[in-house]
Amino acid sequence: MKKRRKPRRLFVRFLLVLVAVVILVPIIVTALYSFFSPQEIREFMATRGSYDDTAWMDARLSPKMFSLDQYWQILVVDTSVLQMFAMSVFYTVAILLGQAVFVPMMAYALSRYRFRFRGAVFAAILLLMLLPYQVTMVPNVLTLRRLGLLNTIWAVILPMWFAPFYIFLLRQFMASLPDELFEAAQMDGAGMVRCYFHVALPVCRPAIGAALALSFADCWNLVEQPMTYLSARTELQPLSVMFNQLVSESSGVEFAGAVLYMLPALFVYLYFLEDILSGIQLTELK
Amino acid sequence: MRNKPRRMRRNRSLWLFLLPPSVGLLIFYVVPFFAGIYYSLTDGSYTNAFVGLKNYAEIWHNEMFLLGLRNTMELSLICAPLVWVLAFVIAVLLNRLRPSGALLRNSILLPYLMPASAMLLVWLLFFDYGGTLNRIIHLLGMERVAWLSGAALRFPVVLLFVWKNLGFAVILFLSALQAVPEPLYEYARLEGASLARQAVSITLPLISPTAMLVIIVEWISAFKIFREVYFIGGAYPDEAVYTLQNYMNNMYNRLNYQNVTSAAYSFAMIVFVLFGILFAMLGRAQRKLN
Repeated sequence: MKKRRKPRRLFVRFLLVLVAVVILVPIIVTALYSFFSPQEIREFMATRGSYDDTAWMDARLSPKMFSLDQYWQILVVDTSVLQMFAMSVFYTVAILLGQAVFVPMMAYALSRYRFRFRGAVFAAILLLMLLPYQVTMVPNVLTLRRLGLLNTIWAVILPMWFAPFYIFLLRQFMASLPDELFEAAQMDGAGMVRCYFHVALPVCRPAIGAALALSFADCWNLVEQPMTYLSARTELQPLSVMFNQLVSESSGVEFAGAVLYMLPALFVYLYFLEDILSGIQLTELK
Repeated sequence: MRNKPRRMRRNRSLWLFLLPPSVGLLIFYVVPFFAGIYYSLTDGSYTNAFVGLKNYAEIWHNEMFLLGLRNTMELSLICAPLVWVLAFVIAVLLNRLRPSGALLRNSILLPYLMPASAMLLVWLLFFDYGGTLNRIIHLLGMERVAWLSGAALRFPVVLLFVWKNLGFAVILFLSALQAVPEPLYEYARLEGASLARQAVSITLPLISPTAMLVIIVEWISAFKIFREVYFIGGAYPDEAVYTLQNYMNNMYNRLNYQNVTSAAYSFAMIVFVLFGILFAMLGRAQRKLN
């Protein structure tokens, strides 16, 4: 029995390593090409888009000369990429801070209180969660304009503070907490407000971390919202929207720009991996 | 309840937590949703006259809308099942490797956080007419394909979606698989069931709620397929990948709001009906399990 299972495991392992490699290759290649000189990248990218049946692009795996010039260009010489990067950081931080305040509040109200329309409110949040962005895009624009927020940074930030998906996620977690936890605090004379700060928030810290880590992936990749809400203000666009332009201009620094853009995501991934994993599993609680 | 002051106090503090986020939800989600319905029924002129379902009748005769709707539906019907199948297979294989294999699992999750637009560069190189993929195809003795133009554009778009979303689905499947008791497999193995047979006859029924959840989650994200198209094909891409969002963005830029809102609600209706059916199935699957 044991003997028969071993080679099969080896095959499974090989198959999975192959999958992992295929998945990681785009990231590794991007990093590799960021060490080519801008001149070489420009020449290389210029060979794209040829429909000549005799011509091939080079499959370059190492630079003619290892160079940090791309980084020097975007970090020191021309900081326009860095500015868009700063906008991305700003949006992400602003959204996550707001979510950290409002999402647990709503989750707490929906899980630890009983009130008449609780079921209806929760059902509404579920429905809102399912709505594709396309559906509310224009009504949102009209509302934001009425509020005078259109084409300001708040148009992107404020709606995200109340994102239904994260409310749902955290509510699921809070609802699964044992009542005893709260009853013990109430016996000691704590009201619901104190319970929130001294029981709910500390106990939910991992779940809040998980929701924020998942939300980071969203915020760092914002595309549709800034495109429509900030259509008149190019200077306020985050890197996620502007990156294409960098590519089509073929400035020779695009790979370093991509690496710069990926690095924070990589840090969050490495640092919050456990939180992200548990966050995804939270989606499942019924 | 009136004679229980303690209860009252609890209820009053409810507003402290419920009100601020509810106001936000109302302003940014609920009100726009209902205002949009009203808006889709008016003519959008200065007087905002009520025109009934005229906008809807128009939109359902609009070729570009129908094209966008069809593409969005088709792309999501390709992407969601594809991610589902791949994720299930990978999760079953990863589950075999337990307790090792964590590194593999984690590397599959990495793209979930990676910005899709940063990946664009590699995609453009890989799918170029003279690029790596065509080299491989050429080595296998087949004709090169123009991946970045025409109908073949769908392939890089779908691949970018799968690449990004696979990890999320794998994690969901894995956590469900870990709850399946090992003795069941031992028994099946004694009976001589193959790995594939075990996966279909034992695993799948036991994790059906998760299987359903994955299809719902992936379908929701697949409906949003736009940025992949936008990155690779621009604002006016080839017909084969012209999505609903492309249509709406273009109408939006022409300030044709009535058109966009009625398109949006037509789509919402379809989405709600589809998910209604899926949820009903999910509910039945869970009841069966119990």
